[in-house]
Amino acid sequence: MSEPKSGAAKGVIGQRLPLVDARKKTTGEAVYTDDIRLPNTLVGKILRSPHAHARIKGIDTSRALALPGVAAVVTGAENRANFGVLPISKDETALAVDKVIFVGDQVAAVAAEDEEIALEALGLIQVDYEVYPAFLQPEDSLKDVADPAHKIHARTVGETNVHKQVDQHFGDVDAALKDARIVRRGHFEFGSVTHAFTEPHCVIARYDTDGKLTLWSATQVPHYVHRALVEVTGLPMHAIRVIKPMVGGAFGGKSDPFPHEMAAALLSMKSGRPVKILFDREEVFLSHHGRHPTKTDIAVALDRDGKISGLDLKVLIDGGAWGSFGVVTTYYNGVLSAGPYDVSNFRYSGKRVYTNKPPCGAMRGHGAVNSRFAFEVLLDEIAEELGEDPCELRLKNFLPEYTTTINEFRITSNGIAEGMLRAMERSGWKEKYRQLPPGRGIGAACGFYISGSALPIHWSKLPQSTVHLKIDMDGGVTVHAGTADIGQGSDTMLAQCVAQVLGLPMSRLRVYTADSDMDPVDLGSYSSRVTFMAGNAARRAAEQIRTELIEAASRLTGYPAEGFVLEDELVVYTPLPRIRMSYMEALTEALADRGALIARGSYQSPPMGGKFKGAAAGLSPTYSFQSYISEVTVDEETGFVKVEKVWAAHDCGRALNPIAVEGQVEGSIHMGLGQLLSEQFRYHDGNVLNPNLLDYKTLSAKEMPEVECILIESGDPEGPFGAKECGEGPLLPILPSVANAIHDAVGVRIRRLPVTPEDILQGIQKNRMERSDVAAKIRVA
Amino acid sequence: MLLPRFELHRPSSVDEALTIAARHAGDCDFIAGGTDLLQNYKNRLNPRGHVVSLLGIDALQELSPTRIGALTTLARIEESETMRRELPILVEAASKVASPLVRQTATLGGNLLVETRCYYFNQSEFWRRSKGYCLKAEGDVCLVVPQKETCYAAFSGDMAPALMALGASARLKSLDGERIVKLTEFYEGDGIKRYVLRPGELVQGVELPPSATSLRGAYRKLRLRDTFDYPELGLAVTLGMEGEKIRELHVCAAAMETVPLCFDDLTGSLHGQPLSDSLIQLLGERIVKRVKPVKNTALSPNYRRKMVMVYLRRMLEQLATAGN
Ligand SMILES: Cc1cc2nc3c(=O)[nH]c(=O)nc-3n(C[C@H](O)[C@H](O)[C@H](O)COP(=O)(O)OP(=O)(O)OC[C@H]3O[C@@H](n4cnc5c(N)ncnc54)[C@H](O)[C@@H]3O)c2cc1C
Ligand code: SF4
Repeated sequence: MSEPKSGAAKGVIGQRLPLVDARKKTTGEAVYTDDIRLPNTLVGKILRSPHAHARIKGIDTSRALALPGVAAVVTGAENRANFGVLPISKDETALAVDKVIFVGDQVAAVAAEDEEIALEALGLIQVDYEVYPAFLQPEDSLKDVADPAHKIHARTVGETNVHKQVDQHFGDVDAALKDARIVRRGHFEFGSVTHAFTEPHCVIARYDTDGKLTLWSATQVPHYVHRALVEVTGLPMHAIRVIKPMVGGAFGGKSDPFPHEMAAALLSMKSGRPVKILFDREEVFLSHHGRHPTKTDIAVALDRDGKISGLDLKVLIDGGAWGSFGVVTTYYNGVLSAGPYDVSNFRYSGKRVYTNKPPCGAMRGHGAVNSRFAFEVLLDEIAEELGEDPCELRLKNFLPEYTTTINEFRITSNGIAEGMLRAMERSGWKEKYRQLPPGRGIGAACGFYISGSALPIHWSKLPQSTVHLKIDMDGGVTVHAGTADIGQGSDTMLAQCVAQVLGLPMSRLRVYTADSDMDPVDLGSYSSRVTFMAGNAARRAAEQIRTELIEAASRLTGYPAEGFVLEDELVVYTPLPRIRMSYMEALTEALADRGALIARGSYQSPPMGGKFKGAAAGLSPTYSFQSYISEVTVDEETGFVKVEKVWAAHDCGRALNPIAVEGQVEGSIHMGLGQLLSEQFRYHDGNVLNPNLLDYKTLSAKEMPEVECILIESGDPEGPFGAKECGEGPLLPILPSVANAIHDAVGVRIRRLPVTPEDILQGIQKNRMERSDVAAKIRVA
Repeated sequence: MLLPRFELHRPSSVDEALTIAARHAGDCDFIAGGTDLLQNYKNRLNPRGHVVSLLGIDALQELSPTRIGALTTLARIEESETMRRELPILVEAASKVASPLVRQTATLGGNLLVETRCYYFNQSEFWRRSKGYCLKAEGDVCLVVPQKETCYAAFSGDMAPALMALGASARLKSLDGERIVKLTEFYEGDGIKRYVLRPGELVQGVELPPSATSLRGAYRKLRLRDTFDYPELGLAVTLGMEGEKIRELHVCAAAMETVPLCFDDLTGSLHGQPLSDSLIQLLGERIVKRVKPVKNTALSPNYRRKMVMVYLRRMLEQLATAGN
């Protein structure tokens, strides 16, 4: 469905290519962490807290240790080292130290000959708890805690359980609200959703007799695991090797270094044998790190010119038990609302609190989804109140390309208006909006998202991505990178970038990634950074090799290097195309007397952004943009929503591989619809009531609408071949576009997610009553 | 999750199965497809030391409009041309159970005896221990309706209401002999007791009256996702008309209470009356008044009750026109 901007360019970029690991995955040949069987491996199991909040008065592991077949037991008393993904909030330990802070918190870990023994051993560990009051509602965590011992973490704002507070103000929001033509306010509540990836967490740790620790783990960020292992094990970084095997989905849920990874390492160091820990599904739910539930108060002002003159956001964020990425989340709930519209006055106040529930973290669309929903729904309401077309209202307010937002984000390529127009045209918007029969509706919403966080989590002068290439006499190209393919296709992307520059088919490429001994450091798969950053690094490395091949061709032919190009496995002198040679001939010459060609390319974001506190949050070398239109049918008697079709326009800069981009868009739509319509952690006190895939309602294929992907290729000047992200942004507009469509269908506004059929039914009935009230009044008058 | 240890027996006849079960009375379960039992075992929900697999008993595999063996898989019912022609309501109900993959192994017998469900019961050992267990397994108090006598776990099988509405009976066998019990009388008691099946007795299958094929029937299921999910309400309606008048009408429901419900006492008096909007409305109101779901599944009890009315009306309207 995407049309390349300028004819069909040669090479593999822009082609619909199957992912390089697709065959292996579909045939079962792919090796995931649990498929790895090292000799002599012990089974690791974790004893978890049955309490939401309690002091550990004592742990007696002696009976477990005495059980035949038990090789090692560890508890928090033996290792109190703190770690955490963000250097500013390292509040985790491998195992609970002194107290437990959610149901499922790791208390002790056992390594045994088999699973049955390990489980029996867990039952033999005696833990003596003093139960503390649990903080389950975020509002309770705002208050001062009477007994400091009952604070969830020591480091918080004052005597409260507030983890992070952010206050930002650009322009004068109060004045904007006062002078506005129209102001809309809303209070929104968002439930807790999780990634529900297919592959449960799994880790193998092997501490060998050379004193080296190797860790295989289902992670999106091997490098952060590597760093955390240093802190917890005390081993030097060079004595630790982290490998990410094939990963079966992550969506942000595998981007923290995890306590179970630390526990596996400690168990292996203690027992001298490899230890594997594989989670069951309930453990995956308890480990969580999903989207932060929020309570969002928002006001949007439109001035007399129809411009968005004010955005006022106040968000209470329920962080659960740990910090995780929460400081970033707290910023993102605000700062990522300062677009894709030109918002002239903007204020944000966000508070993230600790509660005694499974920790929240990063999840696809990190931090941006809930505020985006509130903003886009209010825009729809404003358009309705003014009797305007909500798409036109948006078109009037979009940021242009090459501009700066009020909070000093540097905007470069931007195809949002084109996307909006194309989606309107393809969906027949003008003929449908407000004109569909009752029960049927259409709605629009937009979004934008970072394409890689411009600033790394750990301050460092190291590049954010580095790629190594090697070509030897066999003519194959080996790509080495620390990137983590988690199913999104980053290995394929690297191969494409290199193949394109060298004019080679994909079959010559072999990609080795995510092994810290073999591959250069990459910051990993989060913040939608890999295509942009590692893609650029790969391209740069390949360009060096290209130069060497061209110089070899120039030497062999005597023609100047400037005229040569590489395509279709040939090196061709373009002024005189009959002067050409095969790639292998050029390579053989290039290798003569020196051996394999080696190259290194890297990427580092350029300096950008403002100078104010928190200015770095949300900065990205470029942003993706989305304009969606969704059409729904609502059953007016049951309240069930059927999403019929989505026209999803996404500006990904350049679709390096349209199949992969469409896959991300469709997957994002599936995930977003789950948050809107069905997914939610339910709690009974501190216990997750639905920690399984039957009761946690991820939508099925049957609920998926038809999706028409409209790929907008704005051609980013700094992106590899013009590309930018497509993995997260496409999630943002699906929720509000469907919510707006529901309103168009049955006149019900949504303020709480997930919205159940019952909520919608109640809304419909309330409308009916109000209407008949009005009718009755008219009759009386 | 690891299964607890048990000894698996594989008899090849019903009598052999019954003898083994008698030998291990009190510590024994039958197993057919295992799609229900094994998950419960993994959760340590009342596991037993002995499990008797019925899969080797060919005699329980039959499938016809008048007799369906307990081991007949739901996929076979779903795919059977004869059933689709003669008793489409059963095909409809079977095709709505779980997922295509589960239906390959799920059996009719297992479906009739599927364990009742509750948020506080269908949990891991870890989860339940942290809550102090409940009446239905290891504990002594109900966590949904706090008291110590009755369990409110919901009967969540899809086949039972459809079969009930067709007038089906269960064929039971124990070492004491065979007996045939109408499905409407088979289920009784709370979420723990559930049915009249005696310890050591097994279900050989169901029997349907030949007249069942003359009824028009429909089965509809309320759930959030259109696959995979257990019913939040499963409504079966069968209707026989004589001209414009009702000859026979049965309405049965799953997932409202601890047993599947049959409202013959409310529909019996309607025979001979024309199927009018007001009749449907009145019947619906009476049924809604009768059912008492509790808060232990995904959708609220109030909403589930409301949907009885909507479903009933839609189904009766559909069946009324289907005959014309
Ligand atoms: C993901 C998932 C979704 C599901 N969704 C649904 C759903 O939507 N609707 C639904 O109805 N069910 C659902 N089920 C439950 C189950 O799959 C079906 O009810 C199935 O028909 C049970 O049959 P089975 O042969 O697997 O039973 P088993 O697990 O073998 O047995 C179930 C019970 O019946 C007993 N039993 C079995 N056969 C006999 C017999 N002949 N005589 C005496 N006792 C016997 C067993 O001892 C056990 O107590 C679901 C299951 C899963 C895993
Ligand atoms: S209804 Fe009560 S007793 Fe029955 S399973 Fe649920 S919590 Fe336990």
